[in-house]
Amino acid sequence: MKLAGRMILDKTFTTLTALSVLLLSVILLVVLGPMIYRGSGAVIFRGTVEFRKMQMGLFERGDAEALDAEIAQAQEVRDAVYRQIDEFRQGIDTEELNEKARKIHREFGGELRSNGITGDEYSELRSLTKDIRDKLEEASESQDKALIRRNIEDVLEHQDDDRLKGTLAAGFFPLAANFSKAVENADLAKLSQYTEAIEQVEDILRQLFGPKPGEPTPALARMRYGATRCDQAQILLGKLLWIEKWVQTEPGKPLEKIKTPRSEQFAGTPLESLPGFVEKNLAKMLRPRLTFYWQYFIDDSYNSHYFGGVGPEILGTLLITVLGMLFAIPLGLVSAAYLVECASDNLAVKIIRMCINSLAGVPSIVFGLFGLAFFVLYLLPTFGLPSQGCILAASLTLAILTLPVMIRASEEAIRSVPQTYKEASLALGASRFRTFVTVTLPAALPGILTGIILSLSRIAGETAPILFTGAVALGPVPKSVFQPTRTLSYGSYDMAVGDRVAMMVPHNQYGMVVTLVVLILLLNGMAIMLRGRVFKKLQGR
Amino acid sequence: MRKLIICTMLAAGLAGGALRADTLQLEGSTTVGPIADAFAEYFKSIYPDLQITVKKTGSGDGAAALVDARCDIANMSRFMKEKEFKDAVAKNIFPVAHVVAMDGVCVIVHPSNPVKALTTAQVRDIYMGKIKNWKELGGPDMPIVPISRDTSSGTYETFHELVMAKQEMAANIEYVNANPQAHARVKGTPGAIGYVGLGFVDTSVKALEMDKVKPSRKTIATGTYPVSRPLYMFTAGYPKLGSMTHRFVTFHYTEKGQELIEAKGFVPLTNY
Amino acid sequence: MDKGNSTLTLKRTAGTFRPLALTPSEDLKGYILAHLGRAVLFLIACTSVIAIFLIFLFVIRESVGFLQTESLWGYLSKTGWYPQAEPAKFGSVAIIAGSLYVTAASLAFAVPIGILAAAFLSDIVSFRIRAVVKPVIELLAAIPSVAYGFFAVLILAPFLQKKFGFPTGTNALNASIILAVMALPTIISVAEDSISALGRELREASYSLGATRMETMFKVVIPAAHSGIIAAVVLGMMRAIGETMVVWMASGNAAQIPHPWWDISQSVRTMTATIAGEMGETPKDTSHYYALFMMGVLLLVLTFSLNIVSEYFLSRAKKATGRA
Repeated sequence: MKLAGRMILDKTFTTLTALSVLLLSVILLVVLGPMIYRGSGAVIFRGTVEFRKMQMGLFERGDAEALDAEIAQAQEVRDAVYRQIDEFRQGIDTEELNEKARKIHREFGGELRSNGITGDEYSELRSLTKDIRDKLEEASESQDKALIRRNIEDVLEHQDDDRLKGTLAAGFFPLAANFSKAVENADLAKLSQYTEAIEQVEDILRQLFGPKPGEPTPALARMRYGATRCDQAQILLGKLLWIEKWVQTEPGKPLEKIKTPRSEQFAGTPLESLPGFVEKNLAKMLRPRLTFYWQYFIDDSYNSHYFGGVGPEILGTLLITVLGMLFAIPLGLVSAAYLVECASDNLAVKIIRMCINSLAGVPSIVFGLFGLAFFVLYLLPTFGLPSQGCILAASLTLAILTLPVMIRASEEAIRSVPQTYKEASLALGASRFRTFVTVTLPAALPGILTGIILSLSRIAGETAPILFTGAVALGPVPKSVFQPTRTLSYGSYDMAVGDRVAMMVPHNQYGMVVTLVVLILLLNGMAIMLRGRVFKKLQGR
Repeated sequence: MRKLIICTMLAAGLAGGALRADTLQLEGSTTVGPIADAFAEYFKSIYPDLQITVKKTGSGDGAAALVDARCDIANMSRFMKEKEFKDAVAKNIFPVAHVVAMDGVCVIVHPSNPVKALTTAQVRDIYMGKIKNWKELGGPDMPIVPISRDTSSGTYETFHELVMAKQEMAANIEYVNANPQAHARVKGTPGAIGYVGLGFVDTSVKALEMDKVKPSRKTIATGTYPVSRPLYMFTAGYPKLGSMTHRFVTFHYTEKGQELIEAKGFVPLTNY
Repeated sequence: MDKGNSTLTLKRTAGTFRPLALTPSEDLKGYILAHLGRAVLFLIACTSVIAIFLIFLFVIRESVGFLQTESLWGYLSKTGWYPQAEPAKFGSVAIIAGSLYVTAASLAFAVPIGILAAAFLSDIVSFRIRAVVKPVIELLAAIPSVAYGFFAVLILAPFLQKKFGFPTGTNALNASIILAVMALPTIISVAEDSISALGRELREASYSLGATRMETMFKVVIPAAHSGIIAAVVLGMMRAIGETMVVWMASGNAAQIPHPWWDISQSVRTMTATIAGEMGETPKDTSHYYALFMMGVLLLVLTFSLNIVSEYFLSRAKKATGRA
């Protein structure tokens, strides 16, 4: 009985340990999975014609002719939307209507005179157009539908009047027709609301399709193009189809979000069908196509990462890490060689070991402080250089940070070379130095390489040490090592919390951090594989 | 070997120094940063050889950088302090202020919050920890989560001066490091209250009326909104006419400059 | 050039007979070279010593300015961090407490899981599965802290807020969870090393007395390996206390001591986050600047002493296994 209890406890324990390891794998999946899924959207997505337009406009990439043809096809369908809106707007814009009517009447007189029409005919026609104008004006200012209809009918009666055909006065009739069409079923009390609603619709359309043809090119690159991606377009379409409002349902409780279809806003007007039309024809207007945007990894970005990729960030990260490793590798290798080959167990070596361990324990942010105080504020001005964060300062800081990792890995690798190798070489008369360089080092090389890759991946992801020593969120591609640079790690931080535009482009937000993570995981995968091979080799012996 | 590397680097550095004529260094406020970014991008498209760096650190750092001659233009969301001015003059640098735009610090809440207007005193009480629940302000029974910008930011300074009347905030205030983060926190937290520049107000948060004035371009440009302030770019002396620095700090007068300022959500000073 | 010459001489001497003993000049040359080489190597090996020295020197150097205007006692005994107020207040108690708070909370998650996982890897599972699990742990360690921070802010924080109804998702709990994940690989690998270093004898003795695996683990192995496990915990603690990006992004940064103390859903602020958040925007040579460097000194001293503790336990663990 007691034994059974013990066995159950034992089984529970075993299960718990297994669960704890399972938990680790789950954590790895939970952290990486959603991130990589969303980040991959920066590279693989359904790109619209606007995306291809942007690629052509900003990066001069793509087939210009095919693109023009595609734009023309899309524009044809889009124009139908714009036309509907324009007609309706003209119809309800009574001020503009009145102004136009007055202008026609005014200029009609001049036209008549220049056509040589004078006398009675002149005054008759003038009074006719004056009459039309007044009727239109009266109609446009009225809220009485019967009156409007009567007036418009009166105006349109003159449509067949031969004397007006082909003259400026013929311009009255489309005005009247547009107006009557617009207000036919509309609620006249709502006319001013329509104007506002149209503005909203046009704003959404601008985000969907970019600026209207004929509008001036905006200064900001991100205003120049519409929705470049299908997922963006779907969100915008949602905004076009539905109006969101926060409404108080119960007093003393938080407001609730309520959605109403936008077509209700335009009930009875020709625009009622517009949202539906856009929804049905969205694919024709944007022509989405599965896009593999591998240039994401080399492109510069526009408007704080709204468009483009992470090219400069990758470059900056590589620059800083490789330069850092250039300092760290020789120092680490020699230190390790000394500790293994030359050092006896005296006080000096004990101190060195203690310092290496302490160095490994120093918090990364303190390395940042040190880099700021020593390299940026002390060393650079001493050499007469501008005292600002730069690639050199950042990479030196990182080199010191990674030194312990480098030393430990190399030491282990050198130590694992069988003693017999060295003895054989020494017995052949080679000096200790020669033995080390020609026998020990090559044998330890895979292990050292593993250490190098691990150090590289460690410093590529560090953010805190380079905060004050050489990283900027936005800036030009550096031309010398004395300039600051963008990096993937600092960029990821900035995109996560510091960048307003980034919130609008989650794919780029995740794309940046995923690029960093994938880069580091690749490096680590390489190191793990390399070590596996070394291990097998050692086992085989 | 290492000597060689260092020598090459020094040479590269000197070459970099020779290019300095075509560089423009901006440093300072995170609030003015986006304007400077937009200007910089536009300038780069016109002058491809120009190297512009915009560092967004904070107004204080911008002033310090100008005093140390580490930058050409210091972006600041507040006027220079007496001490900073004295430091500058002691180093024979005479800072000149260029007001490039107006900015309003808007108090924002979650859109589900029925509270529409507060007074400056009420907001101050919230941040001092005297008012802890929305119920006390006529809202639902929900604890208030006050969110502040970090103490080094210009936005904090403006808020600290104009709303808090320089009184200390309570200890439980959550600090975020940037306007977008404040916006994101308020957007995702029903009980939150925060403050951001006008440029960060959109439909996903609700900007409150302060002392019965709604924050808008007009009320901020005219200064009727109680928490509005000018944004500065400081230069060391008035820049040489026609120089890149001069073009940069006067760019906001142009139509393009105004368009960019508006697109970034700030309020242009002039209106052509 | 030099190399070519020496190979030439080698070839020539290989053909002719030559006494085994070196000439006195060769002897001297070799002696000098060897010692010179050793000296140079020693100097390079001292880089770490110099680096540690410089780190202490420069971080302390920038912080002494603080003592000229403020008192260190006030710094260490008062709450209220108002660097921008006039006069500025630098009371770091709440911030130090915040650092310790998230570290303790993260260890509360990480230590049990870490020891269980270490036991699993060393005593329970076959070599083949170990080879699969090990990379998982290594990958967890390899993910950069900024990516964890990204995850904490954009994924975990909204999740905590929605699922548990916390008023704010960026809080001590969020930071502690992530810190625990980051400290786990360190804890597991050091603990596993010390557990598996114990050897079979102890375990077999225990099993032969009829103990189950769990009893062996808890009553024999872990007590015997306690030094190594303590070292693992201390190292994990160092990792958590020195971590910057995650706590900066995920802890909420409210400079308060949670009240009541067990309410982990409140925001706290840590020393590392304070430095990271404020240093970039603080002008040089102000008391705020000095105060931040002072915080760096505190961190340095804290991790340095923790390091000595871990070294002590590690060396004890080594000795213990050596004896066993």
